[in-house]
Amino acid sequence: MEDYKYLFKVVLIGNAGVGKTCLVSRYTKGFFPPGQMATIGVDFMIKTVEIDGDKVKLQIWDTAGQERFRSITQSYYRSANALILVYDVCSQQSYESLPHWIHEIELYAGTKVLSYLVGNKIDQADKREIPTHVGREFAERYEMRFLETSAKEADNVEKLFCSIAHQLTAQARDLELRPEQQNTFVTGGSTPISPPGCCKF
Amino acid sequence: MATSIVDATSSASMDSIENLTELDEIKKALEQLGKQEVIFGYSLIAQFSHTGFKSSQNFKFSEHVEQELKALLEHQDTLESKMNGLHKMLPNLQILETDSRQLTSMISFTSTLAENVSGKVRKLDLAKSRVVECSQRVEDILDLKFCTDGVQIALQNEDYEKAAGHVHRFRNLDETVIRISAETNEVPGGTLDTSFKQLYESEEKLKNIVHSKFDAAVHCQDVASVERFFKIFPLLAMHNEGITKFGKYLAAQISEKADNNLKLALHTPENDKRAAVLFADTITLLFEGIARVVEIHQPLVETYYGPGRLFGMLQILQKECDRQARKVIEEFKSQRKYDALVGDLTPSFFSITCINPRELDVILSEIALISARAELYMRFMRRRALGDVELAIQEVENRKSTVAEVEKFWNGCELSRLVQELINVYIMMEEYFMREMILKAVSMDSSEEGQQTSSMVDDTFFIVKKSVRRAISSSNIDGVCAMINHACTVLEQDFREVLYSRLRAGFPSGFDLQHAYNIVQASITQGKLQSSDAEKVKARANFLMSLNNAEVTCDYCKALKDNLEDEVSKLFTQCSEQSKAKLESCLGDLGTVSGRFKDVVDFGFSQLTTSAIKPRIKPVADAFLSTSHNITEEDFSNYEANDPWVQNSIVTLDNMLSTFKNSLTSANYEAFVSLVTTEVTAQLEKAVGKTTFNRLGGLQFDKELRGLVGYLSSVTTWTIRDKFARLTQMATILNLERVSEIMDYWGQNSGPLTWRLTPTEVRQTLTLRIDFRGEDIKRLKL
Ligand SMILES: Nc1nc2c(ncn2[C@@H]2O[C@H](COP(=O)(O)OP(=O)(O)O)[C@@H](O)[C@H]2O)c(=O)[nH]1
Ligand SMILES: [Mg+2]
Repeated sequence: MEDYKYLFKVVLIGNAGVGKTCLVSRYTKGFFPPGQMATIGVDFMIKTVEIDGDKVKLQIWDTAGQERFRSITQSYYRSANALILVYDVCSQQSYESLPHWIHEIELYAGTKVLSYLVGNKIDQADKREIPTHVGREFAERYEMRFLETSAKEADNVEKLFCSIAHQLTAQARDLELRPEQQNTFVTGGSTPISPPGCCKF
Repeated sequence: MATSIVDATSSASMDSIENLTELDEIKKALEQLGKQEVIFGYSLIAQFSHTGFKSSQNFKFSEHVEQELKALLEHQDTLESKMNGLHKMLPNLQILETDSRQLTSMISFTSTLAENVSGKVRKLDLAKSRVVECSQRVEDILDLKFCTDGVQIALQNEDYEKAAGHVHRFRNLDETVIRISAETNEVPGGTLDTSFKQLYESEEKLKNIVHSKFDAAVHCQDVASVERFFKIFPLLAMHNEGITKFGKYLAAQISEKADNNLKLALHTPENDKRAAVLFADTITLLFEGIARVVEIHQPLVETYYGPGRLFGMLQILQKECDRQARKVIEEFKSQRKYDALVGDLTPSFFSITCINPRELDVILSEIALISARAELYMRFMRRRALGDVELAIQEVENRKSTVAEVEKFWNGCELSRLVQELINVYIMMEEYFMREMILKAVSMDSSEEGQQTSSMVDDTFFIVKKSVRRAISSSNIDGVCAMINHACTVLEQDFREVLYSRLRAGFPSGFDLQHAYNIVQASITQGKLQSSDAEKVKARANFLMSLNNAEVTCDYCKALKDNLEDEVSKLFTQCSEQSKAKLESCLGDLGTVSGRFKDVVDFGFSQLTTSAIKPRIKPVADAFLSTSHNITEEDFSNYEANDPWVQNSIVTLDNMLSTFKNSLTSANYEAFVSLVTTEVTAQLEKAVGKTTFNRLGGLQFDKELRGLVGYLSSVTTWTIRDKFARLTQMATILNLERVSEIMDYWGQNSGPLTWRLTPTEVRQTLTLRIDFRGEDIKRLKL
């Protein structure tokens, strides 16, 4: 058997070009990829970290932002333990798409999913269009955690994934202590999330 | 004195003479010997005269000399022969010396000579290479002249290959060098200059001719001429022009054929047997046509243009393919009322009656086929382009960027995007189809007489399998993963909820199960059934059916995963490691779904325990309580004939189990027996705690327990003895003769027995024996 205590799925979403693939590359491979090809469909990377002596495996799913991959990426929401919604602090447009992404999360993800709002590319200070406080307020409105990052300069990237790993591990340990919660019949880690009318068996 | 002289000549010098090799030394030694001989002679005479006078005193001395002389005379022969040998050798040595001298002078002469010669050769070599270069220039100039004339003549004869050959040759000449070497004796406007000018003009002319002839050949569809002129382009260093022109020519052919095919497709009658996959067939024809074009013309390009040129041509063909594929897909969309379907899929317009699943089924299969063909085709094109790149660039490192370019081109081509869009909608539709069909299967759920499970389980898994397998047939890895994810969701959430909700209603209790069973039997024979009873019977049957459904679903999930794993592995040969890992991860998730249904089964059994098992076991325990275990010898033997409790209990349990046996799957029945056993032991343990025993009562209890264990063991393949461990140990305690006897079984004496009772429980059990004294029990050291 594989040697890890917990496995968590982390899914990155957000418009194309905001830097999702670069964030994943920076975290899992330690470098900022030059001349990155646009992601097709979904891609996944594994990173194992140690949290208080336990091996924790993060399965990081990087999705393509374009509309034509939407139904593929949607199929990954439900089993996600954490979602990272990324926008580009230098792109008003990517910020304006956030409500649309929030809607997707509400439709397809489980209610217990840990969600982060991430404003990327803060290294381009002179091109910034979305001030930090605007992003933070948006995150607060939707009860998301908030962080600003730079995949290029490795700012807050480690912190982002580490805090996700920590929180998910804490959740899992909590559940182990109270196993009765695990077996309740309110469909475990997620809630029924089908479009209205389609699952009224 | 004399002795020393004799010594010196006779012994020491003789040896060294033999070893002499050098002429000079031998001479010297000879001289020396001569001298010594003389000295020796003198000394002999002297000694003799001396002896004559003083012979008497010197008698001893003369004796000694005599001896020495004798020894010397003995040596005389050898000395003489040696001397003779030396004399013979002397002339030879002299010859040798002169010879050596001659040789030395000869060698030194030769070496000087050699040095002289090699210097000359070096000079000669240089001169020769100059001559070669020179003759090359001359040849070049001659070639130039020859080319100039040749081109003119060839052009006149319309022998364009020859003309191009001349131009190609002239292009390979080093013009600047020719001009420099000719500089000294050439003036502007001289023959060389004119030659160049003429050649350039001819080249231009030839280029124009080749261009226009090629176009003309294309125009009159003269395939031979097209290929003829295509081969001339690279001779004129017009590789790119040639590839572009030829590519466009091939593209035009592809376009024409594709137009025809599409027209034919649109006129295909609806009842044609390929009507359902018409557009998939049409796009396949397009792909196959292009693949054939590549197959035929790749050798031509490689031979006449060299490696590294194919990608350029494939790009042109791909652009045409993009255009044609778009047309086919647009027709597909409009003919199949695709947009209307997609519109209906959006949740806001969601309604079951909107889309006919059968219609959807057909379209889904066609999209999967289109996708599979496109994937196959693009793999072919990629492979061809990459193969050519590998030939052109030997070093793996250097080819990386070109390889990336090739990948990027096909990832970003319009066909690729069109297929991605189709797959996007395909997934939505396939998921919808899967849900719809499962919904239908659930709503039409039925079961045949005597079946333990109902139709919806088989149907649901059939549908899920069909949908995911269709996704696999599309060869689109992300599409497969997405459908596996959706299959997990629909099973784990929706289908599980169906089973769960049916169990949530609980197992109706309230009247005797045997009674219910009888009613059903009666209803079958008499055809009537009281309504409330009938409903309960039906509800119970449904409950057990759902429990069975949940149980088989666990197995079906595992089987589905294994089956899909097999199917998916067929894709592995054609996909990257990364894609493989994705597929495996998604399949792994499907593997965990089974466990979620185990929860449902457990939940169902907990319902059953509350409403069916507990109430049915209670009377059994109550009956035990009302049976005295404080009995006389007479009672004991009486019990032998008229069993007071256990026989009845077994009958009750057996009735209960047999009514369930036929309604439960074998796994569920085993689980049921196990739960009944657990309940029996729990309740009986409580009852025992409230009963008083004497020695015979204890014995009676032991008998009863054996009967019960024996019966329950006979109805299940699972082991139940373990569940009875505590009760069996209590029976052992209640069977003791004396309190202290417990120590034969306790602690060090316990042997293979593992006590399930705590010391406190042991004491409590001992107190149930009315004949045991409290102080004895207290005194025990447990
Ligand atoms: N300056 C800057 N550029 C970034 C950063 N992250 C990504 N990019 C650039 O943004 C572009 C899109 O990045 P990518 O990771 O492919 O975005 P994705 O579509 O969200 O996966 C690329 O050109 C990256 O070089 C960042 O932190 N700073
Ligand atoms: Mg990306």
